[in-house]
Amino acid sequence: MSLSDPSTLALESTMDKAAPRRRKLRPWDWAPYVFISPFFILFAVFGVFPMLFSIYLSFHTWDPAAGLSAMRWVGIENYTFTLTDDWFQKSVFNTAWIAVVAGAPQHLIAIPLAFFLHTAFGRWRNAVVGFYFLPFITSSVAIALVFTTLFSRDYGVINQVLTQLGQLPVLEWIFPQQKIDWGQPEYTKWMISFVVFWRYVGWNTVLYLAAMQTIPKDLYEAATMDGAGKLQQFWHITVPMLKPMMFFAITLTIIGNLQLFEEPFIITGGTGGIDQAGKTAAMHMYNTAFMDGDFGTASAVAWLLFIAIALLTWVNNKIFAKSGMKD
Amino acid sequence: MAHLSLRNLSKRYDNNPPVIENLNLDIHDGEFMVFVGPSGCGKSTLMRMIAGLEEISAGELHIGGELANDTPPAERGVAMVFQSYALYPHMTVGENMGFALKLAGKSKQEVAQAVGRAAEILQISHLLERKPKALSGGQRQRVAIGRAIVRKPKVFLFDEPLSNLDASLRVQMRIELSKLHKELGTTMIYVTHDQVEAMTLGDRIAVFNQGRMEQLGAPLELYERPANQFVAGFLGSPKMNFVPCQLKDASSSEITLSVAGDNRLVLPSSHTIAARGDITLGVRPEHLHIVPLEQGFRARVDLLEHLGDAEIVYLELAGSEQPIAIKLPSGGHGLKQGDLVGLRPDAARAVLFGKQGQAIRLQ
Ligand SMILES: Nc1ncnc2c1ncn2[C@@H]1O[C@H](COP(=O)(O)OP(=O)(O)O)[C@@H](O)[C@H]1O
Ligand SMILES: [Mg+2]
Repeated sequence: MSLSDPSTLALESTMDKAAPRRRKLRPWDWAPYVFISPFFILFAVFGVFPMLFSIYLSFHTWDPAAGLSAMRWVGIENYTFTLTDDWFQKSVFNTAWIAVVAGAPQHLIAIPLAFFLHTAFGRWRNAVVGFYFLPFITSSVAIALVFTTLFSRDYGVINQVLTQLGQLPVLEWIFPQQKIDWGQPEYTKWMISFVVFWRYVGWNTVLYLAAMQTIPKDLYEAATMDGAGKLQQFWHITVPMLKPMMFFAITLTIIGNLQLFEEPFIITGGTGGIDQAGKTAAMHMYNTAFMDGDFGTASAVAWLLFIAIALLTWVNNKIFAKSGMKD
Repeated sequence: MAHLSLRNLSKRYDNNPPVIENLNLDIHDGEFMVFVGPSGCGKSTLMRMIAGLEEISAGELHIGGELANDTPPAERGVAMVFQSYALYPHMTVGENMGFALKLAGKSKQEVAQAVGRAAEILQISHLLERKPKALSGGQRQRVAIGRAIVRKPKVFLFDEPLSNLDASLRVQMRIELSKLHKELGTTMIYVTHDQVEAMTLGDRIAVFNQGRMEQLGAPLELYERPANQFVAGFLGSPKMNFVPCQLKDASSSEITLSVAGDNRLVLPSSHTIAARGDITLGVRPEHLHIVPLEQGFRARVDLLEHLGDAEIVYLELAGSEQPIAIKLPSGGHGLKQGDLVGLRPDAARAVLFGKQGQAIRLQ
């Protein structure tokens, strides 16, 4: 394959004069491929290969310490084992629970919040948005650590506030007198969900705000003339016009929440918490691989997780298509 | 139906100079009123103040005899057709048209009936189930008008509704709007920057310039008796010719002008004119005639434009660079570029403008 743009030709002709033996070395023939090759090499080594290898691996048992020759074919045993494994089932339940409890409010709050920012803030909008966006760009490890401290039983600010409120008349009916042990299993998922919600609500707000800014002002004016108040404009104009963005944002939430790892890992100290109450599927996969050293089963978990995500995204797509997103 | 009355209406944004200043205007019940003026002169702002989309900075707006300054837009009994149509993309045509009634709490049946009737008037009954994106420009335009009709407003507001349509569709819709006005008999206010639309549609035209109303009147009245140079120049295509000249002599029956050096022009006049010196002569292209060289101003042909039914000839006055356009019936005159000809204005149709651009009445 030879390049035939004018500069190449010019180069060629000068080469002719300098060196009569043509076509010996033509670096410009393969130079372009060299320059774009790093991406493909890295992608092949760190993207394609591990992916294909993990499929292969999910049908074997393997102790990596014993070398490649220690791989043993087991068919779909890893999959059947995983699907019947209590711990896996529990982690899937936890993941789904957190995905819903942390995910749904993200959107239910981000949309009205974006509408509020859109209508109520003029010059300060970007500053306020930036403030909401801050958690998203902060390291999730740092966030999880901060929240672990806040929720600490003896010294945590949250317990301090709650018990202080519990001292007051009337409020003592609602708030606890005793410090709460947030490490107890009934609280774990709530805590994780809250942190995840807190972190991503700003991200979704930015997405929805961006979409809102593309809705023509005329539509709101037409609706005003038609007698729609602010709330009715929100329901009849803003929400329907946001559908494409909702689809996108909810898809991202589904993918993100089903892969949830860092927040529960830090908050539960990597154990999944008492009674595995805060262990997500991604944590289960991690523990299976790196605690138990069972890479075959962990690969099977990964692919099951992938299938679940793909399935849910597909369902989400169907729901939106049916409700007229593509209009 | 309603009569509108604007009293000392003003609009200013923050500390900027006013966009509309001290406007007084009465729009009669059932009238087709056109606001015309160059882009940026404040026509839309005025219309949006009437609609209630823009706050009124000062003055009073009465609709149907009631002060409407602080009435919410939906309760003013006005309906607006936007330049962009502003159809709700996620609703069908029927839902678009019935939206206002649905919000007003009308029953499904009532809404369907009103929408059906409006759709019939506009011949879009077959489109009711479609979404706006599946419509052509002209059809969208109809739906936007239909949405206004359904509300049975006392006043229709149109803000440059035809400017997104192609030329032939624009003419067709213009005729239909005229018909619609006759059929409904409702007060209509129509904003445009297109003088042809203004001349053909309006019962009366208000010509705006930089936030002020320059003249108000019936189309032909404005065309034939412009109050000032701006109005004279704005209406008519090609534009009226403005020729600087000197007023030499004025008696009670005629005045003498010197145009471009030593050309003399005598115009009949029925009253004495006080102005002297520099003055502007205004003649419309169709009121200039070609005459033998010695009987008129000498001018050289610069360019010919063939319109089919007519021809526009662009010339330059000899002795000055002054461009002149004249409109002639097509063919027969045998003019070509570079020809030297005599020009003679139709004395009875010529207009004079003073230094401030005000028209000087001769008759
Ligand atoms: N929100 C605003 N703030 C400041 N100036 C404005 C605003 N809206 C319009 N204007 C000014 O008002 C003038 C009239 O605008 P507009 O009514 O849209 O003109 P038209 O419709 O005649 O073309 C323009 O000079 C425009 O710059
Ligand atoms: Mg405008």
